Amino acid sequence: MHSKGTGLAALTLGIALAASAAPALADDVTLTLASWRTEDLAVWQDKILPAFEAANPGIKVEFAPVNTNDYNAAIQSQIEGGSGPDLITCRPFDVNNEWIGRGYFMKLDGTPGLENFDDTAKAAWSTGGSTYCMPVAAVLAGFYYNIDIFKELGLSVPTTADEFIATLKKIKDSGKYAPLALGSAESWQLAYNGLYSIGPAYWHGEDGRLGLIDGTKKLTDPDFVAAIQAYDDWKPYLPSGYQSLGYADMTQLFTLGKAAILPDGSWNINQVTSTGLNVGVFGPPVPKAGDQRYLQEMPDMGIGINAKSAHADAAKKFLTWVASKDFQQIYVNTAPGFFAMSNQPVSYDNALAQAFSDLKKDAKLTPRLALDRLSAGTPPLDDETWRMLQVMYNTDNTTPQQVAEELQKGLSSWYKPQMAK
Amino acid sequence: MIRQSTARWSLFLFVLPALALYGLFGIAPLLTSMVMSLFDTSRTADVFIGLANYVYLFTQPVVSARFWNALGNNALYFTIHVCVEVPIGLLLAAFLTSGTLRRSEGIYRTLLFIPTTLSVVIVGFIWRLIINPLWGVVGFPLLGTAATALPTISLMGVWEYFGIPMIFLYSALIAIPDDLVEAARIDGATPWRIFWGVKFPLIVPQFGLIVILTFIWTFNGFDLVYALNGSAPGPNYSTDILGTFFYRTFFGSSGQVADLDLGATVATVIFFIMLLVTAAYFWLVQRRLRAHVA
Repeated sequence: MHSKGTGLAALTLGIALAASAAPALADDVTLTLASWRTEDLAVWQDKILPAFEAANPGIKVEFAPVNTNDYNAAIQSQIEGGSGPDLITCRPFDVNNEWIGRGYFMKLDGTPGLENFDDTAKAAWSTGGSTYCMPVAAVLAGFYYNIDIFKELGLSVPTTADEFIATLKKIKDSGKYAPLALGSAESWQLAYNGLYSIGPAYWHGEDGRLGLIDGTKKLTDPDFVAAIQAYDDWKPYLPSGYQSLGYADMTQLFTLGKAAILPDGSWNINQVTSTGLNVGVFGPPVPKAGDQRYLQEMPDMGIGINAKSAHADAAKKFLTWVASKDFQQIYVNTAPGFFAMSNQPVSYDNALAQAFSDLKKDAKLTPRLALDRLSAGTPPLDDETWRMLQVMYNTDNTTPQQVAEELQKGLSSWYKPQMAK
Repeated sequence: MIRQSTARWSLFLFVLPALALYGLFGIAPLLTSMVMSLFDTSRTADVFIGLANYVYLFTQPVVSARFWNALGNNALYFTIHVCVEVPIGLLLAAFLTSGTLRRSEGIYRTLLFIPTTLSVVIVGFIWRLIINPLWGVVGFPLLGTAATALPTISLMGVWEYFGIPMIFLYSALIAIPDDLVEAARIDGATPWRIFWGVKFPLIVPQFGLIVILTFIWTFNGFDLVYALNGSAPGPNYSTDILGTFFYRTFFGSSGQVADLDLGATVATVIFFIMLLVTAAYFWLVQRRLRAHVA
């Protein structure tokens, strides 16, 4: 009896306490943010979200990551089932277009902060003139180079395609180093870090990419063939046996100081400097001196609002904050290799990341060529590009013209704007 | 009467656990995927579309070309395994049972079987380093040319798995009664003659079985190719086999959206290919073999 009485008293007290605290809690809104970046959990919980909550009292955000391979399926089943998080991290391009089409997202038009991004930055999450996700981070592609090797051989950073080839030739002639740390066993990086990096200078970035999408340009046009040709020109300067060297081999060749230049993505920043090399970075060379510079900026993630969220206003406040310099300054410095996409200046603590970011100045930005709409059928242009670039590198008799024809043939077999009229 | 029916019941009870597990994890998924191959499940409601997935698989130019390419590669993958792995297994089994090893037989048997116990990922990684043009012993990019890549991977598979036919045939060989071998020896037969004239005919049923098992394993193969070359195995799909083709279709790859129905269709086609070949083998060959009766 006695113990029961105490229990009851404690319960009553508990209810009273809860009731007194309730008015303060009632205004608090808790938003859930779904993401595939499980590795970012600590960053969000300890740095990013406390900064947001301090600036926006009354709104709490819970970061709820799912394994990257399960993410798409998890979001789809949750939302189709009528629930789902308030805030959804958005994949770029085709997956997100599919989600927009299914009505997962609220339109963001007019949300404060969106004006910090230009159309290229918003392209991965826009359709029909509306934007559905706030851009968060992008990755860049460029050329890492070993500064000490360049000094030793008296080389300067090449800016045109001719200078680039001349530089490769000098390194090869020295006989001490491999000019390019590049192998073709893994075909994805031939496209992502190779053709899609140097190609925009030939097909004029967005002009060429959007031209393919609306059907006014073809992969067999001289600009595209010239881009593939420029990539084929590297072939004599690849390490021996490059046909079966993978991505890890390339990185190792470079980090061991045996190769001078590594065409790679910004996400590899930590690895290329892991052995303490003196590493610099330069952007893709232009075809002729004085030509416009282009740089591949690939949108990696954005954040959108679940159309069924009960806290749309709070969610919009959060996205406005995500669009601000405050957020981006924190995020890009905790994840080197990721870059802010807004037009506001953000500084990077990592020197190489800052150098990479500086390449964006005076350069026109463009995402990877084939990921927007052009790969949403069979055969996907992206896969075909991987395959044909590998064929071009690994066989002796495949010309850039043939590569372009094969790609165009595949694309025009299913993509309506490219079908023969 | 009572006793017989009780016996029948207890027989059923004994079989039940295995049957339940086999049904749940073997037969049910198989039937589900067969049913799935007749539907379009990508919309909000499942739509019955008959054989449209099969028609698509065999008529869409790119998809059907990849399918036939994978089937052809798989045939080569199987052929290399049968022509290299099984003879090596037979040779080593004959060697182990020849009596020349005396007491070290157990040591050799263990050593030779070790590769079979290694993980595929480790085997793929080790061989990849050994034949790496930069760090390895072979300057030629074996995995980089369409002509050499699949034979190279097949031989890695052979290296890993020759222990299976070896142990299989070894246990068949040691089961041969000594008196048969003895009789042949007294008749003046050479060891060569004894092996091919006496021992081999006695292990033909096991030999046939290991060939058909190799067929099943290679046509179900996936892991080694995936470990070495990923789900779109190059160069130019020259190492693509049915397992990787199925995986890419069902789970998607970086540039390819997952298509569950088409994946189920591919799985069903693979199942029927294996069913037909295996049934034909048992019908035409294994059924006619007779065990030796002493």
